[in-house]
Amino acid sequence: MRPGSLRAACAAILRRDLLLAWRRRGDIALPVLYALIVTTLFPFALGPDTALLARVAGGVVLVTVLLAMLLAFDALFRQDLEDGSLEQLMLAPQPLALMLGMKILAHWLSTALPLIIVAPVLASMLHLPGEAIAVLVLALLLATPLLSLLGAVLVALTAGTRRSGMLLALMLLPLCVPVVIFAAGAVSAAQTGLPWIAPVAWLAAALALMLVLAPLACAAALRIAIDA
Amino acid sequence: MKWIPRWMHELSSPPVFYRFAGVMRPWFMGFALLLTAIGLYGGLVLAPPDYQQGDAFRIIYIHVPSAEMSLFVYGVMAIAGFIAVVWRIKLAESVAMQSAPIGAAFTFITLVTGSLWGEPTWGTWWTWDARLTSELVLLFLYLGVIGLFHAFEDRRQGARAASFLVLVGVVNLPIVHYSVQWWHTLHQGTTVRLFGPSSIEGDMLWPLLVMMLATKFYWAASLCGRVRTDLLSIDSGKHWVRDLADREGR
Repeated sequence: MRPGSLRAACAAILRRDLLLAWRRRGDIALPVLYALIVTTLFPFALGPDTALLARVAGGVVLVTVLLAMLLAFDALFRQDLEDGSLEQLMLAPQPLALMLGMKILAHWLSTALPLIIVAPVLASMLHLPGEAIAVLVLALLLATPLLSLLGAVLVALTAGTRRSGMLLALMLLPLCVPVVIFAAGAVSAAQTGLPWIAPVAWLAAALALMLVLAPLACAAALRIAIDA
Repeated sequence: MKWIPRWMHELSSPPVFYRFAGVMRPWFMGFALLLTAIGLYGGLVLAPPDYQQGDAFRIIYIHVPSAEMSLFVYGVMAIAGFIAVVWRIKLAESVAMQSAPIGAAFTFITLVTGSLWGEPTWGTWWTWDARLTSELVLLFLYLGVIGLFHAFEDRRQGARAASFLVLVGVVNLPIVHYSVQWWHTLHQGTTVRLFGPSSIEGDMLWPLLVMMLATKFYWAASLCGRVRTDLLSIDSGKHWVRDLADREGR
């Protein structure tokens, strides 16, 4: 790979972000711990009735994963913004959208993937049946990148502001309604023995669309929010 | 017809718009009050009670015009927001951002009157129905736009960022609407159609149309006032504002 070529730049960003995430392994564990704690609280709040827990399990795990991701979004551009490397990225000759796409990918790998790995554990804690767990993991594999892409656009918009935590939640909620509906729809269809492929196909279609559009929107949003 | 683009171009300058809005505002407000009075009289007194819902249906004269306005204002905000993001015109930024609280208020009124209407007719204040949920999501979207606008220290940058969020919402709203519809629905279908016959009696229809017009005028008046104040505060260092302050005697 020639240094400075598009592929080298992508690989460099991906390697740098993953290395940074790996150096702070404790931060990767935090969203997972958070999801574990939230899921543990539900049986206490709802009572240990197996049938009830099994009925709500899919939705609970989905919302928990969503909230855990929401907490982690703040870290997406925070450090790069503080040390100025984000501005360097914006000035770089490589297309910003592609570079941001790589950053989003690295962020997804370091926060969402661990959550997907523990999701079967969380779901079986709430007595979700085996086949539905497989569908849940499949739905999460499509829904979490979608959330990462949508969230990245909003994080980029709030990049120039001081307080962004609650604001991000307020902005993300309207965007993630369809994602939650389709992901939870797939799980509950699988649970009741109905065909679940349609909502999963919708999620996949939305992901295909967002893979193209979201990095472009993210780049445009960042240029607005960090207007030098 | 060359004067139209020139006039539009001049109008986008803050001092010209400030004067224009000042002249138009009392007229808009006057029409709004007059039409509201006619519409409410027609709706609450002249229109016959509904054969099923009795007098409970009369809340339609508040509910439907505000529901229509909640989408209309969003549309205006989206157009102004697009102009603000692409051409960075100060007036468009102001119009987009000053529309947001008006739209949020209409959305809130829609939700409240809807739940007041739902109680006697559906037997519940709230249900997770497609339109209700979309309207609630619309309210959150408005609040997000207002929140993002105020989170920035620089007003114009905040306006552009929030305008971008408005545009993201334009893509999102239909998706939310259809996905929620697919999920669950109870709300009645559309009764007033622009094309083709409406499934509502003429005596009941005309006050509704008058009210819809009244809310438009109210919105125009309210927007004129808000944008005027906003322009003064954005341009507070400019000479036209200083001249104005000198003339008005501070």
